[in-house]
Amino acid sequence: MNGHPIREEDFDLLALGALDADERRELEAHVASCAACAAKLAEARGRIALLAAAAPPAAPSAAVKQRLMQQVRAEARPARAAREKETSPSLFGKWWFAVLAPAGAVLAIATILLWNENRKLDRELADLHASVQQQEQQLHEAREVADLITSSDTVTVALSPQPGMPKGTAHVMYNMKMGMLMYEGVMTPPAAEKSYQLWIMPAQGKPISAGVFNPVSGQSDHWMMKMPQGIEPKAFTITLEPSGGMPQPTGPMVMMGSPS
Amino acid sequence: MSSDAGAEAKASDTGLIERIVQRDEAALAALYDRYAGLLSSVLNRILRDTQAAEEILQDIFFQLWRTASRFDASRGSLAGWLMVIARNRAISRLRRHNPAAGEELGENTVALPLNIESDVSQRQLLDRVKGVLENLPPEQRAAIELAYFEGLTHSEIAERTGDPLGTVKTRLRNGVETLKRNLRLVMS
Repeated sequence: MNGHPIREEDFDLLALGALDADERRELEAHVASCAACAAKLAEARGRIALLAAAAPPAAPSAAVKQRLMQQVRAEARPARAAREKETSPSLFGKWWFAVLAPAGAVLAIATILLWNENRKLDRELADLHASVQQQEQQLHEAREVADLITSSDTVTVALSPQPGMPKGTAHVMYNMKMGMLMYEGVMTPPAAEKSYQLWIMPAQGKPISAGVFNPVSGQSDHWMMKMPQGIEPKAFTITLEPSGGMPQPTGPMVMMGSPS
Repeated sequence: MSSDAGAEAKASDTGLIERIVQRDEAALAALYDRYAGLLSSVLNRILRDTQAAEEILQDIFFQLWRTASRFDASRGSLAGWLMVIARNRAISRLRRHNPAAGEELGENTVALPLNIESDVSQRQLLDRVKGVLENLPPEQRAAIELAYFEGLTHSEIAERTGDPLGTVKTRLRNGVETLKRNLRLVMS
């Protein structure tokens, strides 16, 4: 391609990854040497990135953040030590180095012992810090649950098993003023390659995913999430979907309940 | 939320990046809190594997920690880069090929049409974009989602759906054109 693309939407198709290899290479080669088209591609990438909105909401577990922060601290320690080493003045080449060397060796051993002790304390401190953060998060979540449960505006919906479907108990509590929704239930584990998915069925419009879950036998699942704005739930359903969930319900309805 | 956490929540992405460059762990935690949910949704939708999605999520934020000094806000949006990188990594894992070029923070050239640094703005964005997608003709939306969430090209979509290649190309072309026009309307 020697000139600009004939069609503006080619940038969006490139950002989407839909162009076949030859078309992609040709357009990429042009963009690499054309600032105007590079700017258009940057805008197209931004537009296409927004398609993330079509994904059902899925919050990561708290353990990911903990692991990340531990990884960051583990990386920071050697780097900090290296910086300190670089800034310390060199003793080599000084006449009095030989005189002070034996004392220095003793000092070095003591330093190593202290350093080891310090590392141990550092690790303990990092663990304590992570534990405090986790507890703060749990406390925050507990407060939200308490607020939701005790509010007079909260609506509780019991979900009933549908005929011929796996048994379980489940209910949803939601509060339009707080904009919060909580699910709690004990369900029979789904078959392999399957997940359960909770849906908000609005009075108008398509079902909205409110969580994908894979229960462990005998254990309860519960989570809180923000209610989509302006949505008045007509009912809540749980369907059986391919593992990981779907953008819209495709599988059989396992549980259902409506606000009274 | 503590007052410190409240202040973090109001800090701009660029301000938080500057603090990360100074090795401020709280700034990284704040950026994680801001975008982990959005990225996690995309990663889980593409991979349908929570463990793999969480591994990539952690990798992305660790990369941000290590290479924050290369970020240049004048070249593109951090939120946009995060969303592009999450999708690219997940598609690479799904299709078992190496990540595409342009994954370094210093190569960030993603121009997001709006600021989504607050929780409220993210929710508003998701609602608007969902609305735009739901208004696309179903066959156009399906073709776009196959490309976006499964990383399929024109030819691969035609092979997957059994539709003629020309039909798939027309659907995708019309779909992204309508998407572009309607996104401009709802973002203005």
